[in-house]
Amino acid sequence: MTPEETRKMIDQLDESRTGRPSPSQEQLIDQDPQAAQEWYYLNLAVDAVRNAGLHEQVAFIKENLRKEQNAPAKPAHTEQYIAVPANQPTKPAAERSSGAIIRSISKYSLRAAAFILVITSSTVLYKYLTVSSSSLYERYFGAYNLNTSRGETMESPIVQAYNTKNWNKVIALAGAAGARDNQVEFLAGMADLQLNRCDDAITHFEQVIAANAQAATDFYQDEAEYYLAISWLACKKVNQAMPILEKIKADPHHQYHQKVVEMSFFDLRLAQYKENK
Amino acid sequence: MRAQEQYTDAELIAAISAGRELNEAIRFIYRQYSQATSSFIMQHGGSEQDADDIFQETVVAFIEVVQKGKYRGEASVKTFLNSIARNYWFNEIKKRDRSGLRDKQFELSRDKNEADVSHYISEMERKRQLRELVDQLGESCRKVLLLFYYENLSMKEMVEHLPYDNEQVVRNKKYKCLQALAGLIKDNPAIARQMQEILK
Repeated sequence: MTPEETRKMIDQLDESRTGRPSPSQEQLIDQDPQAAQEWYYLNLAVDAVRNAGLHEQVAFIKENLRKEQNAPAKPAHTEQYIAVPANQPTKPAAERSSGAIIRSISKYSLRAAAFILVITSSTVLYKYLTVSSSSLYERYFGAYNLNTSRGETMESPIVQAYNTKNWNKVIALAGAAGARDNQVEFLAGMADLQLNRCDDAITHFEQVIAANAQAATDFYQDEAEYYLAISWLACKKVNQAMPILEKIKADPHHQYHQKVVEMSFFDLRLAQYKENK
Repeated sequence: MRAQEQYTDAELIAAISAGRELNEAIRFIYRQYSQATSSFIMQHGGSEQDADDIFQETVVAFIEVVQKGKYRGEASVKTFLNSIARNYWFNEIKKRDRSGLRDKQFELSRDKNEADVSHYISEMERKRQLRELVDQLGESCRKVLLLFYYENLSMKEMVEHLPYDNEQVVRNKKYKCLQALAGLIKDNPAIARQMQEILK
């Protein structure tokens, strides 16, 4: 089958998804065994994608449930206070009425609540004083390790320099390269970030994203997006980092989704609030 | 939305069939049925991870059966899930060739009233193989195909989720990715064998 015929068949498949089959395509599938075979494989492919999607959705929910279950348990309900008459004689602990026990629990609950309130207030104050874009950058920046599958059999000089953490050499080689591909651009950005040159890192990561948008590719796209957000944090610009992090958080297929989900958005918003003050 | 949805079997089937509240339905299935299945698998030679994997596969298979209108409701959801999970675990043990476990423990514990779910099990196995091929596609293709065929997004909506400039670029990418996946399936010997059997 020609690529054009296969395309038409895919269109037919997509249309049948919405209940609008094309009679001419149906006829072709009925009459041509090769077309029937192609049709079968394309249908299998779509089935496989749907199964993979469902599998991913179930895994995601399962993971969330697990996190909920592992989170500290909240009190199911508050015990009701029952007053004990003042003239009631005091009994040994084991013989005390349920009312007294509940009153005792309530007293401890109040103390615990007050204690928790003090701790929470202190924590919030401490957080307010200590959380900043710089501290968040320190917390969330992690070195990028080149995946061996991404590399070639013969490592390029820039990859070698990156793997040996020779950041200045990475930047020099990137600067000397005529046409820079996304890998070179990305590694230059990471080297700049390692040397605390966040502005230069931002330029490189934005270049990767722009090149992908132009060429309809996504080479180093997820990496560039994540480290662009980290670079904005390094540059003390949480406002610029937030939309990128929120986009990654909303996209379960993003390579850094889990990493971003695990970030404290409370702390990020606190830093954003401080920045906007 | 209620904090924790509760469903009767009929409500659960209706919610899954209509694609409504799928997340809530999955949460309900996990809360309600995972414990018993996991205990069974762990009592019959499986690890916690095995139990986790088997139940996940079971939930996926159950939802697909319901969505395709093939769930006939002859057994309760609980019985159906248990049968699938137990048999899938039995199948897994067979693959791992732990015959001692297989023949003694499992057969003794088999519910006499259990429905024959062998065709679901072979279908689950085939789906697992196909899913591995989807993973081989690479992240960008996987994402494009999932957004279109699973999330049912339009080309316009997909542009917002992808690093591509316009709908035409996304459309071309989708064509290429689906053809690449169909190619991987075609080249897979196990699936090619199934194909030959179908065409006989």
